[in-house]
Parts: sequence; structure tokens; C-alpha cells
Amino acid sequence: MRARNRETAPESTQSHSNIALKLRDVERSFGSNQALRGISLEVSAGERMALLGPNGAGKTSLVRAICGRLRIDHGQIELFGESIYRPKVLDQLGVVPQDLAIYGDLTTQENLSVFGRLHGLSGRALKERVEWALTWIGLEDRRSQLTKTFSGGMKRRVNIACGVLHTPRVLLLDEPTVGVDPQSRHRIFEMLDELRSIGTTIILTTHHLDEAQTQCDRIVIIDHGQVVADGTLIDLIEQTTGSQRKVFLNIEGEMTVSIPNLEWDDANECFVAEMDEPADELPHLLHRIRASGGNVIDLEMHQPNLHDAFIHLTGHGLRE
Amino acid sequence: MIRTIIQISLLRLWHNKAELMLTFLVPILFFSIFAWIFGSRGSGATPQLKIAICDEVGSDVSRATIEILEKSQSLRVHQPVKTVDRLGKQTGLGRAAAESLVRRGMISAAIVFAISEKDALGAEMQIEVMADSFDQVAGQVVSALVQKSTMTAQAQLATLKSPSPISQMERQSGSAIELASAIDPRTGNGVESLRSDIDMRSVERLSHSMFQPPTIAMIDVMGQKKANPVIAMYAAGIAVMFLLFSATTASGSLLDERENSTLERLLCSRMTMDHLLMGKWCYLVLVGILQTTLMFVVGAVFFGLNLVDHIDGFVVMTFVTASAAASFALMLAAICRTRTQLGWVSTIIILSMSALGGSMVPRYLMSETIQRFGQFTFNAWALDGYNKVFWRELPIVELRSELTVLVICAFVFIVIARLFAARWDRT
Repeated sequence: MRARNRETAPESTQSHSNIALKLRDVERSFGSNQALRGISLEVSAGERMALLGPNGAGKTSLVRAICGRLRIDHGQIELFGESIYRPKVLDQLGVVPQDLAIYGDLTTQENLSVFGRLHGLSGRALKERVEWALTWIGLEDRRSQLTKTFSGGMKRRVNIACGVLHTPRVLLLDEPTVGVDPQSRHRIFEMLDELRSIGTTIILTTHHLDEAQTQCDRIVIIDHGQVVADGTLIDLIEQTTGSQRKVFLNIEGEMTVSIPNLEWDDANECFVAEMDEPADELPHLLHRIRASGGNVIDLEMHQPNLHDAFIHLTGHGLRE
Repeated sequence: MIRTIIQISLLRLWHNKAELMLTFLVPILFFSIFAWIFGSRGSGATPQLKIAICDEVGSDVSRATIEILEKSQSLRVHQPVKTVDRLGKQTGLGRAAAESLVRRGMISAAIVFAISEKDALGAEMQIEVMADSFDQVAGQVVSALVQKSTMTAQAQLATLKSPSPISQMERQSGSAIELASAIDPRTGNGVESLRSDIDMRSVERLSHSMFQPPTIAMIDVMGQKKANPVIAMYAAGIAVMFLLFSATTASGSLLDERENSTLERLLCSRMTMDHLLMGKWCYLVLVGILQTTLMFVVGAVFFGLNLVDHIDGFVVMTFVTASAAASFALMLAAICRTRTQLGWVSTIIILSMSALGGSMVPRYLMSETIQRFGQFTFNAWALDGYNKVFWRELPIVELRSELTVLVICAFVFIVIARLFAARWDRT
């Protein structure tokens, strides 16, 4: 699990057999713009990893580099221990682009069939995989309809299915749930759960931080072409904001005594206190506020989450 | 509200450069092209008609006529002219060779001064104009010029022999009367009658030889046997233009695929850019062949186009033309950035090529400069090839120049397409 910036990267202790994807010192520049600055990253087989980052952070460049579509200036990218530039190595990779990269004027079955063929399937194997995919995406009864007549969620499912027909060991999804309703999103993650249950390694990029938080084992945040954080949700929160709960309090009256750990928060225009054990510390704080002449009229407790960690790491500034 | 809608529409037009160009620039461009093609005809750039002359008579009149024709600004005479010299020896181009030149499209018409039996008035020469009705103007123009030149030649010869045709007539009629009186002095009153008879015949004969238009036989060496010659001429023009339009429209799928990331997905599979371009090229060639074949079959079934007898030439020309059109379409698609751009770029280029190359207007109607310029278009070569097959009925070996040019076009265009498509390869 093991992503780090080049400068601090320790040697991997995992065996090659368990590492699905390995990036070492990957660099790529577009003119004077350094899109990837020495990214090193390892993804274990069967892992589900979210790749996060603000717009222009280098996510798309990284995804394209992993697919072999972006030539890197420096570094190595390996799938199951072999360079992706070797013949047929990329057959182990499935790619689902963010755009609906399917043919709207072909039926569901025809789309699945042609993309299966492009990945080397044919004959009985192709037929079986197409049938499996139709069932998997729940569109058996719409197999003969043109996909341009489908809803956004249905098109997304076909889009995903076209990337997994050849049973890839690693699946790379670029924002697979963008623009779909909660029901379709739920169904898509059920589909990904099924793939994971058969051992497929899943890497997805998303701007839905809640998805990354709830659906992935591991989160990697990149910014300015570098990995800025890597780990589980708890790891990230610990590394950034810390795990202390924040308590926001609206207080009436004038407090005559200053209370330790209670500070005015300009941004939220209320008092804020941080605590490790709210159950123990909160009653004590409320008592002291009352004793000092204040009257708490409202309070809200906030548990640090991925959003806080993300903002902490990447800042509030607008990107591209 | 109405003002706001107008404002929105104007702003959208201003920001949509393609629509702006199609609205304002393209009409001007096409007006300019057609003005160039046809406007230049009135400025002295009318094409000279290439002709051959075969003089089987070798008379003073035929020689003088040829001399006048050779000096004509409207004609360019193929050398050498066949003639019979004063010793009776034949030199130069023969009738068969001249006809062959017409059949092969090397010249617009051949003029043959042929010996004929004397007619009632004693004329011994018949003029034949062998023309190719593919050029529906040339035959008529040449015929008119021949008529004018012959009459001028006759007048000139008459003037040389006698300063005044009337005095020549008087001299001839006077001599006859004197002769008649000398032979038979008893003719008495009859002399006046004879004088009157001879006067009339002389005037008739001389006026016939000097002022009567010569007899000109028009021979259509190409179109006479054809059931519907117009179809054979225009089928190719329409076919090539629509072949280009349909191929460029279909090649736009490349840009659609790039715009919706399908191209990215395709290239993430086992497919390479070479596979992709070659697959699309084969598809476009196949569709082009089917499209053209269907059109010619309809022409054969409903409009009397003789497809069966020219099937070999048709197959070869259609395959090569469809190949070049497919390469051309892919080249445009690879050069353009968006489907919209491809739409207006291809419209401008195809319509321009079709106008200059003869798909819209026969090239023989254009000035020589524009005809030469038209040789740089794809259409001109394809049309020339089809015309050789269907109109001139030449064997495949005669198509070598057209086939060579089109094959080179197909190769060069696809190479250019591949070079431009390299930007979509791994970057």
C-alpha cells in the first residue's frame, strides 16, 4: 500500500506476485508543465483503490500512462511484474473511460460483442462473456435496443461492461458514476463488488469523496503531479486533520472567563472546540461555559472525514 | 424580447466560426470559382479546339481551306495534315488515324476533305466533320468554321483567277457565244437564245462554286451507337462527387470516436492506429464500390447505360476511384479537429474539386487554363477514366495514366492521414 513520493519512497516489501500494478518514478512533462513528477505507487492484487485529486492534478495523465496511452519520460509501469509496454501485458487491464465510449448506434449486444472482439475474444468465449455481461448489467431484455435510446445510468453500465468483457485482472475506471442517479450508482458499485469478489483489482478516479470513502480500501490523493497522501481513510485523516472531533457551539451571553480549548472560528462565526473523547469531554466543556456566563443555544459535532483531509492537502484554491 | 433573441443569435453566429464561414465566405468562394470558370470565357481565354485535317482531294479549294483553318485563332490543328500533293502523292495523317484520335479524345474533331462523285452542279468534294459528341459544342463550331473557311477559300481562288467574278462570267459566256457563231453561222436568231442559255448556266455554276455553302457531313464517331449517350457522360461525374461526399461523411466517425473517447478505448485494446485506419479505409472502399455499382446498375436498368459490355473497365476504375476517395476522406478527417470542421472543410473542397474537375460542368466548356488547373483535382482523373471506359470504349490498358494517378493519390492521401493520425497515437 505503498504509495509515496520519489524522495521518500522506501523499498517495497511485497512480493511481485501480490502486486498488480507498480509505478516507479513516473515522470511526464508537456512542455514546461510537469504533469507527473516522479510518481511511485503499488496496488495489491484484489485491492480497490480510489485515486483522488483536484482538476489538473495529474489524474488523467496518470490513468493514460497506466493504459499505455501516454508515453512517460521517465520511470517504469508494471502490471503483475511485467512492463506494460511488452506485448499482450495490457490484455490484463480493463479500461472504462469517463466519457460514454460506446457506439450509440449499435445495440447493447453489438457493443459488447465488438469490444469483446477488440480484446481478443471470439467464438463461444465471446458469446458466453456477452451473455454474462448482459446479465451483469441487468440489460438482458434490452439487448437488441440501440444504446443511444438508454438513460444515462444504463449507458454507464454498458460502458463499464465493455471494459470487463475480457476478464481483466486490473480494472481502471475513470469517474464511473459521473452524472448518474443514486440508484444507478448503487447498482454500479454492486457490479464492482462482484468483480472484486472474483479477485479483480479496481482502481477508480472520482470526485465523489463519499464514494472513495465508503467503497474503497485505499485512497491515494495526487496533486501537482505528485502523490500527496496514501492510505486508508483513517490513515489519511490521521496524517492530515487528525482524528479529533470538532464541536461547533453557538453561545449567548458574555463569558467572563476564557475557557481552554474553546476558540472563536471566524469562518463559521461560532466557537469551536476539538476533543478526542466527546462523551467525556463535552459535558465538562458545557459546564464550564455555563459557569463562565455563557449559554449554549446550539451545538454541532463534526467527525473529520475525507473531505477535510482532501481540502487540508489540496487547499481551497480553485483549480483548472 | 425579440431584440434579445436576435442578439443571442448574432452572438452565437459570431462565436461559431464554422457557421460564420458557411454563411458568408463559402457562397463568395463558390461564386468566385464559377465566375473564374465561366467568366474567363468571354475574355479571350476560350479553349482552342484541337482538330486534325485529312485532305484526300488535294484541290486548290481544299488546300486553300486548310490554309485558312490553320490560321484560325479558334483551332489548333494537329500536325501533320494529310494532303495529296500536286504529284498525287499522299502525305500526313490518314482518315483512320484522324478518327482514332477523335475516338481517344486526343482531338475534338477531324475534318476530312473527301472525293465524291460529281453532283448535278459538278462539285467533286465532300467535307466530313468527324466529331465526338461528348463535347457537344466542338462539332458544331468546327462545322461552322469549315463552312466559312471553304467559302472564303472559294472566293479567294475566284478572285485570283479573275479580278471580278462578274467579268469572268461575262468572258465565259461571251466566248461561248462567239464559238457558237463561228461553228454555225445559221444560228441567226438562235444566237441570242444560246447567249441567254449560256449566261444562265455560267452564273448558276459559278455562283454555286463561289457562294453556295459546301456540303458538310457531320459524323458522330462516338455517340452514334449509344442508346443513351448523355447518361454515359454524366454517370461518372455524379458518381465521383457523391463518392467523395459519402466517404468524407463516413470518415467523420473517426472524429466522433475521438470526441467521445471511443478512440481512446479502441487504442487501449489490441487495436493500433494502423489497424484502425486500415479498417476504416477498407470499409470506405467497400461502401464506395457498392454505392457506385448501385448507381451504374440503376443507370443500366432504367436509363440504358451499357454496363455489361464495359464491366472490366468499370470494375477497375471503380475500385481505384473508391480507394482514392477513401484515402482522401480519411486524410481530411485526420487533418480536421472536429466533425463540424470536417463538414465545412470537406464541403468546400469537394464542391471546388467537383466544379473544376468536371463533375458539375463538362471540362470542355472551361478555358484551357482552368482545364489545366482541373488536372490537379481528383475528379478530373476519375472522370477521364470513366469516360474512356463508357464513352470512348477504350481497353483497360488505355486507362494506365488515370489508374496510375489515382493509385498514387490513394497511397499519398492515406500516408498523410496516418501522419496526422499520429497525434492520436500514444502521446
